[in-house]
Amino acid sequence: MPPKTARAIIEYFRGVTEDPHAYARSLQQKGQRVAGYMCTHVPEEVLYAAGIVPVRIITAHTPQAISRSYIHETYCSFSHDCAYQGLEHKYDYLDLVVTASSCIHMSEAFNVWVRFAGFQTKSYLIPYPHIMQTKPARGFMVESFAEFKQFIESFAGRAITDADLEAAIGVYNRNRRLLKQLWDLLKLERPPISGPDLATVTLAAQVMDKAECNRLLEQLVHKLAGKQGRAPAGVRVMATGGACDHTGVLDLIERLSYPATLVFVDSCTAARYFWFEVPEGRPDKLDAIAEGYLSRIPCPAKDVVPGTGEKERFRFVQQFIEEYRPDAVVCLYQRFCSPQPMDVVALKPILEKLGIPSTDLELDTTIPLAQFGTQLEALLEITQRMAPGG
Amino acid sequence: MDRSQIVAGIDSGHVDTKAVVMSGGKVLGYASAPTRLDPATAAGTALNGALADAGMSQSELAGIVSTGIFRDVLESPALHVTATVSEHMADARGALFSNQKARTVVDLGGNVHKIIRFDGAGNLVDVAQNDKCADGLGIFLSTAAHSLGLSEPELSELALGSTGSHAIAIQCSLSAQTDATDLVCQGIAAADVARAALGYVVERVASLCRSMPLAEEVVVAGGLAQSAALVGQLRTALGVHLSLPERPQYVGAIGAAVRGQP
Amino acid sequence: MYQLKVWGAFKDYQKNRYRDYLFAPGGLRVTGSTWSVLSPLKGLGEDVYILGGEPHSASAAGTLPEEGRLDLAAAESAGLGFHSCSYLKLFVGEIVRDRIAITDGTNKEGYVRPDLVWTTHLCTQHSKWYQEVSRRLGGVPMYAIDMIGGGNAEKDAKIVKYVSDQLDEGIRWLERVTGREFSDERFARAARNEIKVLVLWGNICALNMHAPAPLDERRLIALFPPAMVDRTTDECVRLYESLLAEVKQMVAANESVVPEQRFRVVYFGLAHTYGHPETSRILRDAGAEIVASIYTFGTTGNFKGFTGKTWSWQPIDPAWVDGLDLSTRRKTIEALAKIVLGWPTWQGVRSYWAIEEMAKAMVAEYKADGLLLAPTRSCETDFRNGYIAMQRIFRDSIPTAEYDTDQVDVRKMDLPGSKRKTELFVQLMEARQRRGQG
Repeated sequence: MPPKTARAIIEYFRGVTEDPHAYARSLQQKGQRVAGYMCTHVPEEVLYAAGIVPVRIITAHTPQAISRSYIHETYCSFSHDCAYQGLEHKYDYLDLVVTASSCIHMSEAFNVWVRFAGFQTKSYLIPYPHIMQTKPARGFMVESFAEFKQFIESFAGRAITDADLEAAIGVYNRNRRLLKQLWDLLKLERPPISGPDLATVTLAAQVMDKAECNRLLEQLVHKLAGKQGRAPAGVRVMATGGACDHTGVLDLIERLSYPATLVFVDSCTAARYFWFEVPEGRPDKLDAIAEGYLSRIPCPAKDVVPGTGEKERFRFVQQFIEEYRPDAVVCLYQRFCSPQPMDVVALKPILEKLGIPSTDLELDTTIPLAQFGTQLEALLEITQRMAPGG
Repeated sequence: MDRSQIVAGIDSGHVDTKAVVMSGGKVLGYASAPTRLDPATAAGTALNGALADAGMSQSELAGIVSTGIFRDVLESPALHVTATVSEHMADARGALFSNQKARTVVDLGGNVHKIIRFDGAGNLVDVAQNDKCADGLGIFLSTAAHSLGLSEPELSELALGSTGSHAIAIQCSLSAQTDATDLVCQGIAAADVARAALGYVVERVASLCRSMPLAEEVVVAGGLAQSAALVGQLRTALGVHLSLPERPQYVGAIGAAVRGQP
Repeated sequence: MYQLKVWGAFKDYQKNRYRDYLFAPGGLRVTGSTWSVLSPLKGLGEDVYILGGEPHSASAAGTLPEEGRLDLAAAESAGLGFHSCSYLKLFVGEIVRDRIAITDGTNKEGYVRPDLVWTTHLCTQHSKWYQEVSRRLGGVPMYAIDMIGGGNAEKDAKIVKYVSDQLDEGIRWLERVTGREFSDERFARAARNEIKVLVLWGNICALNMHAPAPLDERRLIALFPPAMVDRTTDECVRLYESLLAEVKQMVAANESVVPEQRFRVVYFGLAHTYGHPETSRILRDAGAEIVASIYTFGTTGNFKGFTGKTWSWQPIDPAWVDGLDLSTRRKTIEALAKIVLGWPTWQGVRSYWAIEEMAKAMVAEYKADGLLLAPTRSCETDFRNGYIAMQRIFRDSIPTAEYDTDQVDVRKMDLPGSKRKTELFVQLMEARQRRGQG
């Protein structure tokens, strides 16, 4: 029975994030092939064009030390959790696992799946630029995608036509537009949906069949149109940083003893996932996909503008600040992450110049809610005192 | 009693120093003392305690063999240590002493834990030791107990009554302690917090156990093995039978003494 | 004990390159990662002075460790995290403190600002490293090359093209940003030197397959930095030719800097001797000698490499370099791209199977009695990834021990653990020998 109310739709999405395996298996029961992907650089459209549904590998939030005897301690907990799930056969049902060159932590998680978790013959690593902004990056991606397409054609036992690719691009762009439409609601004075709920919806989108996801998103957009939510309360908070699929952290922001509203999440598990489009109607589909993926908000691991060494991502962060008007920023990153904390060092002076206080939350598999709560409340108190009349 | 057969073994560990007096394949006396900042004094105290327990004096000993992290510190004239043996060899021999079929010993120490595989004669086959992040499991448990106002045996007892499952961080003892404290702040039942604390220790040890094949039978030794709750959780985690000596904390000292016996 | 005749010349070369950067009048100053291709810089002129991040951070820490600690503290006070790369922090820390120290003991107030950054993306720390340098110095022009890497990367035409296209763009960028005219003749000469030095070092390392190995880890770690500091000069080529000649003589005469070698050890990790005098002593007392090491070999060395998926540490004939066709800019670029992609480090950093095969080959070709793994806690590259898995893979076939360490930050070195594990390592090798398997 399809969900009827906006809340019911949101809860459906939440259910998908809480048990992505059940959802993925339900797709297979309908006769669909499912490919897991690590990191969001994988050109999902190529898989989708072959009739394979891509589902992002997200963490199980299980404190475990099994993976410590496969990859080094001081790799981020996101990578350890992904490695652990492979070792514990949680994802054995996948038909394929794919990744594109990413940070070394996630590459190691992928390596564990390939070497030790039985994915040797059902895995593919797409060579992908480590610097997105060089001129030759696009040509390299096109060649790399062409090899990937050939592999998928062989794997799927069918050719991938231009029409297939165009159709997949259309479905994925629709998904991106719908998500953007929903996030735009947070710019309103009384948004009909909360930031934490949107973050959950976006996370679910990354593990769902986009066609089904789009239908539900369209319903959600329709049901929220013209509605007004509760008045924006207290401090407007933007979260920015690395992968965060622990929705409890984002929920916490709006459940403190000081009123606060989460107005935007700039992370690869939220806005960075969908904040771009692939050009449609182009003759060279792989080139179009490369152009689209190059226009994404760069992951800090791949963000070095040649000539200046500038971080292109910061242009987007400043754009989000302008559009979503946060009063405070929470920097999220996984413990032991390499690129994110280095970006924070450079971002802080910009936030200070804009008069926006910030705090860092170092994420791990477990979330110390009381401790994080104290930290966040301190941020809110400072922000309130800085406000005119505060 | 043949005097030439009476040997003392001293295991000078990070947290505790253990001593035994042995003769003719039997342990005659046990004692331990906190190592603190003075391993030599702790060794003397433990040795005297073991001798008293055995009803003997030091002059009756044919030799004193030391092992443990501070074994080299004990090589002082005052203690009359006659030989030293590495912790791994001592553990292997001690495990064999407690169980002739043993071929692996899991040593759960105050600071370091190790898995030692050996042959029927107690010769080393392979050893795995924890890395830096997993240091200090025993010290962590003491701290966790203390922060809850408990002794370690009380913490272990409390954990046995847990009905809820809560997770704490696995990264290191510091993270685990922080998370355990956070659980208390969140109002989680003390028994559940205690079980979570033990769970961290078990998870780290189990991870190390999975880094190499365990040859059965497996003996569990060291100070932490005194916790029934911990050993029970470890058995479940590993899915193998664990042989538990009567006084697991003395396995190293026994092994040292066995090595010293002619 | 054998004393290397070339030792002084090597030390002087490294010191003089650092002194050039600090004190040479005029010229062009460049900083960045020396894991990239250096010879394009020399197309801009002879007066190009390079301060590469890794050799500088490592050598500064080794020469003036207290300064190194202050640099780390300064970087952390400025917001860089505890877990960030220690080389990165030391380098940035110098900028924060506005001081710089080099191997001749110079400890100078006033950081010497580079004119540009020419670097690469070895790992995600690397990519941030020089962004921080550029930003803190008010915006230094920066060009980073994505080498991609991976097993057999140099045989993949699209990877060679990708890297070569970036180098091509990079040369045009260098001209624009410096206002200097690029000389293809100077470039080709520097490139041939660069390739020759890499091949020569590979030859020198391969000689350690001999028993006794002529060089130990302490010498190896000190003899490759000149190649890191600036491998594009005629002088550098002469240095390594002299070293190769001398080591060949040592082999012919069965000489070694450490004649007593009971156990031959393969070491995967960064600088072993620095910060670990205890572990070095334990190995030395047991007659255990590190005869081969991924870092000292693979950082500035080229070898036969992969045939299919089987690696060989056999050297490349230096005469091959003389025959290389560098008659056009593109040919030179492609030759350079292939050679640097062929480095063990670039092969292993992005391919788990490559680093595993390299380890297998190293153990076999150097006839190792033990494999010592020392992942660096702050390092992202192949000085950490794969080591834990390698321990699992190798432990049944050869005594293997692993301990955690760090490049320069003693706070992160597991000194007690490294001592314990090294003692254990020696015991395992001895036990194996007693069982007649060694």
